[in-house]
Amino acid sequence: MHGTCEVPAFWYDGISARRYEGVAVWSGGDTLRLRADDGETMDVALGDLIFVERGVMDGSYSRKADDGFRLSFTGPVPEDLAHRLPRGQNFGKWIDGLGLPKAAALFAVISAALVAIVLTAPTWLGPRVPTSWERKMGDAMIGDLGNRLCHTPKADAALAKLVDHLDPDRPVTRVGIANVDMINAVALPGGQVLIFNGLLQEADSADELAGVVGHEIGHVRERHVMQALLRQFGLSVLLGGINSDLGSSIFGIASMSYSRDAEREADAFSRKQLAAADISPVGTAEFFEYLKEESGDSPEWVGWVASHPMPAEREQAFRDAVIEGKNYKPALTDEEFSALQSACKEDPDVEEFSFF
Amino acid sequence: MDEDQAQSAFGFHGTWREFAPIAFTNLLLIIVTLGIYRFWAKARERRYLWSRTRFIDERLEWTGTGLELFLGGVVVVLLFILPYIVMTQVAQAMILRGETAIGVTLTVIPLLAIFYLMGVARFRAIRYRLGRTNWRGIRGGSNDNGFRYGWSYMWKTTLGYLAFGLGVPWAMVSLWNQRWRAMSFGPMEFTCSADFSPLMKRYLLFYLSPFLAIIVAAGAMFALALGFAIDFDGGGGFDPENPPIGFFAAIIVSVLLFYFVLGFIWLIYFAKFYRVVVGHMALGDLEFEFDAKTKDWIKLGLGDVALLVLTLGLGFVFLGYRHWKFFVIHMQAFGEVNVDDLTQSTTKRARHGEGLLDAFDMGAI
Repeated sequence: MHGTCEVPAFWYDGISARRYEGVAVWSGGDTLRLRADDGETMDVALGDLIFVERGVMDGSYSRKADDGFRLSFTGPVPEDLAHRLPRGQNFGKWIDGLGLPKAAALFAVISAALVAIVLTAPTWLGPRVPTSWERKMGDAMIGDLGNRLCHTPKADAALAKLVDHLDPDRPVTRVGIANVDMINAVALPGGQVLIFNGLLQEADSADELAGVVGHEIGHVRERHVMQALLRQFGLSVLLGGINSDLGSSIFGIASMSYSRDAEREADAFSRKQLAAADISPVGTAEFFEYLKEESGDSPEWVGWVASHPMPAEREQAFRDAVIEGKNYKPALTDEEFSALQSACKEDPDVEEFSFF
Repeated sequence: MDEDQAQSAFGFHGTWREFAPIAFTNLLLIIVTLGIYRFWAKARERRYLWSRTRFIDERLEWTGTGLELFLGGVVVVLLFILPYIVMTQVAQAMILRGETAIGVTLTVIPLLAIFYLMGVARFRAIRYRLGRTNWRGIRGGSNDNGFRYGWSYMWKTTLGYLAFGLGVPWAMVSLWNQRWRAMSFGPMEFTCSADFSPLMKRYLLFYLSPFLAIIVAAGAMFALALGFAIDFDGGGGFDPENPPIGFFAAIIVSVLLFYFVLGFIWLIYFAKFYRVVVGHMALGDLEFEFDAKTKDWIKLGLGDVALLVLTLGLGFVFLGYRHWKFFVIHMQAFGEVNVDDLTQSTTKRARHGEGLLDAFDMGAI
């Protein structure tokens, strides 16, 4: 087909730093014979070569073993030899195969789909996670909260009665009084609802309390807690790809917040349950009014006000839920309510929460 | 081969025009892959930068690949980040259950582990880079895996800070010596015997400047208060209970200025540090020198800031180029290299890249 060709080249053998100058001899076969000016020769298989770079000279090649061997042609390479030489990678094997625009578009589509899945997964996946799983997860994450919940026999009975009113068929929700002096109530993973002692002290009646507890139970029932967990997990995975930052969004349990829609849903749940239990929503409305007036005055309020926006609108919603002339029953008797209020004071061995 | 003394042994002949297509395609691919391409981007960038770097009469060659950097990243996630997340979650659960002692222990252990691994990571990153850098077909490396260096890193750094922070230059120099003595290129081992004492004057400047700043600030505040009292004598003067807004603005500006200036004072120290440690390094008959002065470092820093600000952060793709160029043009070497004696390195190479260093987001060499 053709004769032997010789291309001027220099090479390093990877054994010492000595530079060999000479010619690469090719006679149409699978090997290239490198003949140095001083007479030394070495053979390399064409199939063993990897393209290193272009642009600087007519191309440099190393060997698959990455052993330091390097061959650079310093003269024009005949076309039929050039055909046999490997071509290099630019962006990477897959991207080179597809071409940059196609590959970039493909990656963009895949990434957008992933982002969409991660961002929407909480909404459609959250409600499908069995409640028993959520409970197990919650138990693993926070357990029984040690001895920081306030218990007295009377308070336990009163709380059980209140929760029974609000959520008669409750397979997952557990409500407890946390020994924290903050005006707040939270729904934690695993159907754990905590009423902070500070809120109990600030509430004027069991009716006020009922609305707030109903709201938190609503978060559990509407699976907002599970959704928030999934959202947090998804975001940390997504952000992990861009920046493998250690420890971000790990301490998220306390900082979990819900969307405004979720807050409205929880409020709606609360109103529905209040109505079903014949408890007046007026108390809750008054509590929101109180929040509205007090908000901004002291940092204690920040917890509830920041995560539960627009007390005015919510107050109105609860006021609108009042049915004129209906004979409402008090959520708890005065005695039961004061048992709740004194639960933390009278629990002899309750411990302080120190990390919220 | 004789060293040409008139010309620096190191040269860089890349141009940003040539680099721009690499940088911008990297940026595009990093964005559309949600960051996963950054490993391949780094390899492409280095392949270019190394190929435009000349040592004596031959260019460097980067033989590392994106895949191995990616594998390094995966190893880090599996071996360190996942256990870390699990451990902190368990620690939190323990504290919530009232097992405070176990919880705190489980929180502290990962922190200590990170401290240790930061040392190991720095060591292994240098080893990886030397192992993937070819010059005339010869590469570098180390026979040490860096695990012992991690311990030295922990105790020397701790000791440096324990002495009211005055031992920091000693710790930095001593660790530099230790990690470079473990490195080699071809058959030759690096030597490095820098001494920290020439650094102390500049370090004390950095160390004492906050105290000076506080004295100056206190004086300035006093004068300012006095000034208000005189200027607005009729209007009631400076009321410490209700200071004017300008007063707070002045405080905020001076705090920002303080950190900015402190950063530059650190550069005064760091420029000297780099000159001293590199100046005491040798490889066989080659001796190294680094000639960047404080003002060069400041120019580099200000340039970086300007680049990032003007491009709204996207200019970060050029930072690697700028830093490498800075490093190469200020690097000098004197002496001789006998290319026949410079035989291939026998050190082992890890199959994965500098994942740890990447995870801790630490800089070059």
